[in-house]
Amino acid sequence: MEANVFENCEYPIRQATVDAFAEVWRRLGESGPFWTGRDHMAMIREARQSFECELCRRRLEALSPNAVDGEHETVTDLSPVAVDVIHRIRTDPARMSRSVFENALANGMTDSEYIELIGVVATSVVIDTLHQGLGLPVPETLEGSDDPPTGQTEPEVVEDGAWVRLAPRDGQLNEVGIPRQANIIRAMGLVPLVIELFFTVMRQAYYITNLPISISRSQAEFIAARVSALNQCFY
Amino acid sequence: MLLRGSGEFELRGVMDTTIDSGIEHGRLLGQLVDSTISRRWEDVASIREECIEALGPQETVDAIAVTSAFNGITRIADATGIPLDAGPAEATASMRSQLAIDDFEYREKSRKYDQVDA
Repeated sequence: MEANVFENCEYPIRQATVDAFAEVWRRLGESGPFWTGRDHMAMIREARQSFECELCRRRLEALSPNAVDGEHETVTDLSPVAVDVIHRIRTDPARMSRSVFENALANGMTDSEYIELIGVVATSVVIDTLHQGLGLPVPETLEGSDDPPTGQTEPEVVEDGAWVRLAPRDGQLNEVGIPRQANIIRAMGLVPLVIELFFTVMRQAYYITNLPISISRSQAEFIAARVSALNQCFY
Repeated sequence: MLLRGSGEFELRGVMDTTIDSGIEHGRLLGQLVDSTISRRWEDVASIREECIEALGPQETVDAIAVTSAFNGITRIADATGIPLDAGPAEATASMRSQLAIDDFEYREKSRKYDQVDA
């Protein structure tokens, strides 16, 4: 099935962005190392559904999301633990805590499965937000491949102060003196495929140098800082 | 750190709309970000038109694209508990303290939210 992104958009979307988003959407429909393409699409449907979930609404109103128990209102056959991670990261990223990750592992999800799931959901957040921000419907989810997960060559990862194991540092700095292999890239080192998918869409809007956009660096950094603050993102 | 390195600005204006951030069209861009992140799509529609008038159509699309990109990337950081990179951690220590950003640190968040179970 063809990926239909930015259809009937009345605003000037760069063709490179349309092409990159369409390609990533299509690839999200393919099976990854630990989940099928059908699973990926279920994750995206579940992320969208989370805004209709009564448990998520009650948690948002609570002083701590962990003080509210219950069952999520789900639209897929993903496991309850996968649904919980997806709903939390979509509706309440500011209050994600280590226990969410540890609970996922305790309920049978591997750290690699967790990272692939996070990468898929985060990528879909970029794609959905841009569509909705432009007044467009979100792209229709694909059927997704039922081919079994592909597996992958075991990547090199290290413990380095995060909840998850990270890709190793390469010791290099970029043009502005920040580690070339920044922790935000190392964070998904367990599943290199989702690094590639996520940053293919991310780089359409933002890059550390030579921004591919028409607003100034100051304006872009102002927006980035404000989004990060609203989402209470420490990093 | 990149915001500070990108020119003159008033840091407190990032979140306080009553303060002039010094960023060109900062107030309008802030409103666009706020309405988009809080999913107030009717507000987004009207602010988007204001932005097109003030900044131009391509600039408005790009502002929404940056907003969208960071709406995704913040979730990766929030879901993995990564620490700051060494360089920025050192360079922003004073600013983080001044703005109480350290309260968002993932060990602190986990300490705050994980002690309350249903």
